[in-house]
Amino acid sequence: MSAEIMLEARNMTRRFGGLYAVDNVSFEVQRGEIFGLIGPNGAGKTTLFNLITGMTPPTHGELVYKGENITAKRPHEIAMRGIARTFQNIRLFGSLSALENVMIARHIHTKSGVIEGVLGLRPAPQEERATRQRALELLDLVGLADSAETKARNFAYGDQRRLEIARALSLEPELLLLDEPAAGMNQSEKSSLSEFIRRIREQFNLTIVLIEHYVPLVMGLCDRIAVLNFGQLIALGAPEKVQNDPAVIEAYLGD
Amino acid sequence: MKLTDQSSQQYRRLWWFASRGLAAVAAVLLIAAVIGAPSGLQNLFNGLAIGGVYAIFALGYTLIFSILRIINFAHGAIFTLGAYFTYFLTGAAVGFNGLLANQKLPFGLPFPLAMIGGGILAGLCGIFIERVAFRPLRNKGADPLLTLVSSLGVAVAIVNIIQLLVGAEIYSYPRNPFGEMPAALNLGNFGGLTARPIIIRTIQVIIFGVSMVTVVLLTYFINGTKTGKALRAVAEDATTSSLLGINTNRLILITFFLSGLVGGIAGTLVGLSVNVSGPYFGINFGLKGLAVIVLGGLGDIPGAVVGGLVIGVAESFVPSEYVAYKEAIAFAVLFVVLLLRPQGLLGRVVVQKV
Repeated sequence: MSAEIMLEARNMTRRFGGLYAVDNVSFEVQRGEIFGLIGPNGAGKTTLFNLITGMTPPTHGELVYKGENITAKRPHEIAMRGIARTFQNIRLFGSLSALENVMIARHIHTKSGVIEGVLGLRPAPQEERATRQRALELLDLVGLADSAETKARNFAYGDQRRLEIARALSLEPELLLLDEPAAGMNQSEKSSLSEFIRRIREQFNLTIVLIEHYVPLVMGLCDRIAVLNFGQLIALGAPEKVQNDPAVIEAYLGD
Repeated sequence: MKLTDQSSQQYRRLWWFASRGLAAVAAVLLIAAVIGAPSGLQNLFNGLAIGGVYAIFALGYTLIFSILRIINFAHGAIFTLGAYFTYFLTGAAVGFNGLLANQKLPFGLPFPLAMIGGGILAGLCGIFIERVAFRPLRNKGADPLLTLVSSLGVAVAIVNIIQLLVGAEIYSYPRNPFGEMPAALNLGNFGGLTARPIIIRTIQVIIFGVSMVTVVLLTYFINGTKTGKALRAVAEDATTSSLLGINTNRLILITFFLSGLVGGIAGTLVGLSVNVSGPYFGINFGLKGLAVIVLGGLGDIPGAVVGGLVIGVAESFVPSEYVAYKEAIAFAVLFVVLLLRPQGLLGRVVVQKV
């Protein structure tokens, strides 16, 4: 594969006190691939997501996104460059409707300045209509168009997960980070999830990094897999290669 | 599972109706008592006028609290600043003390414009306070309690700077700020319903009107505009908002501006009703504003409005011979309400996330 590099992590390290949550991790994600991130609990997978999205500054290391160093950027600056994520413990705006949740992120594509913000000037009606239309399409994509006005906190767990994906997509990302998208889903939801993730990759030209514990999903879906253990990258490669890696087997059995 | 859900929902609906019913009955009894009491209606109108100012002032606390979960103790000082700014924008001269003695602006704005200008300048001071006293601590991840102390320091500094620049004397606004109008409206005695005719000062009508317009505009801003929606999102979860491309620091600046704006306008309105009584003008008001937001429910916008009106009206029912205890009334009301509803009048019980 001689594809374009989407995201490059160079010697990423994050220390919390004496604990190395992420320890000298380097990898590259290529444009268009589905990149799996697996490892036992506490291996540093979510911390790695937090580093990529700017929520946590790294102790050492560099992050390069589409050739640009984004290491010291703030979360909203990184988001505006096209990196979106979902959360392991869903973080929707519970008191806002499903539609409002999706429209919030759309707003960065309909620029308005501080002055307009303070004066409360409304965006041009056709712009607002387009934002709304696009948000409804995304809700339709995840099968929630019928409950657009329902408050996010009133959705069932699986629906909340899908709403969170719709909200992330509304950012029009090029790189989508999914943190345990199958968690809490029932068996039939899980089996349709792979199909769904492949579909959105095609439809939106996405590159996807996903953290997942549900092994059949990861093995069937991912182009390449990175395995973390105690903050360190212990294996990286195609699913079948990683599956048979002695270090990986040891990490999981020794857990 | 479904059954229990349904019955708990029914129970909740029943409780909703019962509690609203009780509140309605209490309100009717209260209104009857107000009308029946000697000069009851008069007190009610007086109370609503000052209560309106309490409400918009308290909204300034509420806005910042809902975003940062911090009480901005400099808000009383902003209130004072707003009153002074308006005074100087009308083109009136500084008093005889202070570094700026006898100075005045080379122009004078008509009062309504001066009031808006005073609010805007107070809003800019709010932005300055955020940059100096709040953001640096927030960036360092300081405990919110430290930020609170920092805002208290800013309040003291502002009071002292005012004293240094323009002295500690009383400043009076122009006599007819809104042009020639009768000083008061006589509503008559409602066909014998009240013992004495009800008289409302024109200033009171203006104060109440300006307050309510401010509340409506602010509510529209928060619920009807893009920026307002982003503000609600940041209030609910700042981290997630920033991951969706919302510049949280910019929204916090907007919040501080709005907070300063309503605080400054409140200062002007109170100055209009009494006088600007020196650099300590806003201190008592600042404390009462705290009573209002706690009464209404912390971080709740309709709560701040209801809390302001309730405290304003309660105070105005204090008989004139006990007027020295007026300040105590606000806190007595607060105490009683919190015993019954610890989350405040309109506040919801917050379930702590683990």
